[in-house]
Amino acid sequence: MRPYRIRLGRLVGKTILALAGFVAVFPLAWTALNSLKNNVDIITRVPRLVFTPTFDNIAYILGRDSVMTGLYNSVVACGCAVLIGVVLGLPAAYAVARYPNRFAGDIQFFVLSLRFLPPVAVAIPLMVIWLQIGLYDTLPALIVTYSLLTISVIMWLAIPAFQSVPKEIEEAAFVDGYGAYSVFWRIALPVAARSLIGAVAFSFVLVWNEFLIALMLSSSNAKTLPIVASELSQQGMNVPWGILNASVVLLSLPPLLFLGVLSGFLNSVFRPKKT
Amino acid sequence: MSAIVCSHVDKSYGATTVIHDLNLSIEEHEFVVFLGPSGCGKSTLLRMLAGLEDISGGEVSIGGRVVNDLEPGDRGIAMVFQNYALYPHMTIFDNIAFGLKRQKVPAAEIQKRVEAVARTLGLEPYLARKPTELSGGQQQRVAIARAMIKTPKVFLFDEPLSNLDAKLRNHMRVEIARLHQSLKTTTVYVTHDQLEAMTLANRIVLLKDGVIEQIGSPAEIYRQPGNLFVAGFIGTPNMNFIDVAVGRKDDRWALTGAGTTFSFEGSGFDLRGVDRAVLGVRPPDLKTADAGDSTNLLQGTADLIEFHGNDALVTFACGGKEVSALVPARECPALRAPVRYTFEEESIHLFDATSGVSLRRQEKLS
Repeated sequence: MRPYRIRLGRLVGKTILALAGFVAVFPLAWTALNSLKNNVDIITRVPRLVFTPTFDNIAYILGRDSVMTGLYNSVVACGCAVLIGVVLGLPAAYAVARYPNRFAGDIQFFVLSLRFLPPVAVAIPLMVIWLQIGLYDTLPALIVTYSLLTISVIMWLAIPAFQSVPKEIEEAAFVDGYGAYSVFWRIALPVAARSLIGAVAFSFVLVWNEFLIALMLSSSNAKTLPIVASELSQQGMNVPWGILNASVVLLSLPPLLFLGVLSGFLNSVFRPKKT
Repeated sequence: MSAIVCSHVDKSYGATTVIHDLNLSIEEHEFVVFLGPSGCGKSTLLRMLAGLEDISGGEVSIGGRVVNDLEPGDRGIAMVFQNYALYPHMTIFDNIAFGLKRQKVPAAEIQKRVEAVARTLGLEPYLARKPTELSGGQQQRVAIARAMIKTPKVFLFDEPLSNLDAKLRNHMRVEIARLHQSLKTTTVYVTHDQLEAMTLANRIVLLKDGVIEQIGSPAEIYRQPGNLFVAGFIGTPNMNFIDVAVGRKDDRWALTGAGTTFSFEGSGFDLRGVDRAVLGVRPPDLKTADAGDSTNLLQGTADLIEFHGNDALVTFACGGKEVSALVPARECPALRAPVRYTFEEESIHLFDATSGVSLRRQEKLS
């Protein structure tokens, strides 16, 4: 009886796993397929798996200036914001984690509180501020605003990552003659790298997908890709499904590439050496 | 010249004092063990020597130089941590060489020195591996190699063996003893394991609540414990304690307790003016009494027998007090059998019942 039961349990488990995997992957795969279809193949009653592929949608998307500008704006704004988040957020997180003073708790709460308010409550005052300064609808305004998000997210996730580095390892480096800054660079950063890269990737995805603040802070010049993509659907009753799907694919590629590069990097750093 | 001198050292966290007015001097080439129950401040004291904890008051000098305000790296010390504290992202070679790189030692010399140290500790096959690919004993050896390579004035060990299993612990203990024999580097070693302390130390510093209870060679501390705490802490199985009333009878001291009266000449002790005392006798010092013995008897019914191999530990109730005797296994009585044990006057310890201080005559302590 027993082996049979185990096999049944395994079967049920694997089925659930397969279903969950299907639910997660199918919409993405279907979107990717649809981006290669003509509108006729998309709006048919019977979903088609076999069709004549067309690159018209992708060509249309890539050929539009607004899409390319949006892509450029997104890459620059998110890239710079993540870079600033890393440069300022990681040392700040390390300081809070390793050299806590009586404000350390308040700092952590403040950082977390930046994410409490609904974005729209933050966006309106920010819009007024940028209008007053004369930087409304520019990339610098977007970069600074996004940096607030990336710094807070990176700090929030990096503090526990640094705290989980065994203190003795850092103390051993002190005994080996290294100072506080060297210990941060040579010990804390590489040892915590795995979790830190997760934090950085998460902050990137967060600002890459950001919609509301970008909508409020840009009117024409600084539009990011999510804004441009959303405008594609505002073309009357005749929804260009193929083009929409192609824009979604374009929108999903950079985070995927980013994560792919990161996980490749992670593997190369942490793969145990075979001897 | 003393290698390490602590004078009037204090350590406090806010209002809590962890170490209070501690004075200690450690000679060059000495192997000193800080021993004590957990929370006695022994690790804190070691970390203060290392420079990982601030010194709240007093002065610490290493090699004749006051180090209170020196960074750990400038104190001429090397430290081995309880959980090894190897750098997980570096190979074994880099782990060992990390300190030398800081000192800007040329690469060729680093290579030579790492190889020499690795040879001493049998680590040559593992130099290219990462710490996680090594067993606990090997990791500890890397940690020792990392400390050795800097040729420090002082080695500091913070409970280095407590993460290892019993067999490996014995093995590493012997290795550390051999290492000290060949290098002769002044060593301070923290442990809560009295076996490690007894076997490794030239001198033991026994701490309790941040205060030194006794300093002495392992033999001194075992044979002449200075107070009740030391007597109870050192020695396995634990010393038997019997509360006694002190009196005189026929020109001898008569100590009444545990339902009987013990009679001693008492020349080794200063019992004048003491009316209550604690009599201590170690289980191995209890001998099976002959039929003819009539003085200094401890008798009862054996209610627990622990077999140790060569010996057996017999526990019995004597005048409402639990007493243990370590006897050769062939003399081991049956469970519930009546037992009679006696002991020599030389093997007893007497402590003042109120202060806990040993009543042994001072001149014998020297």
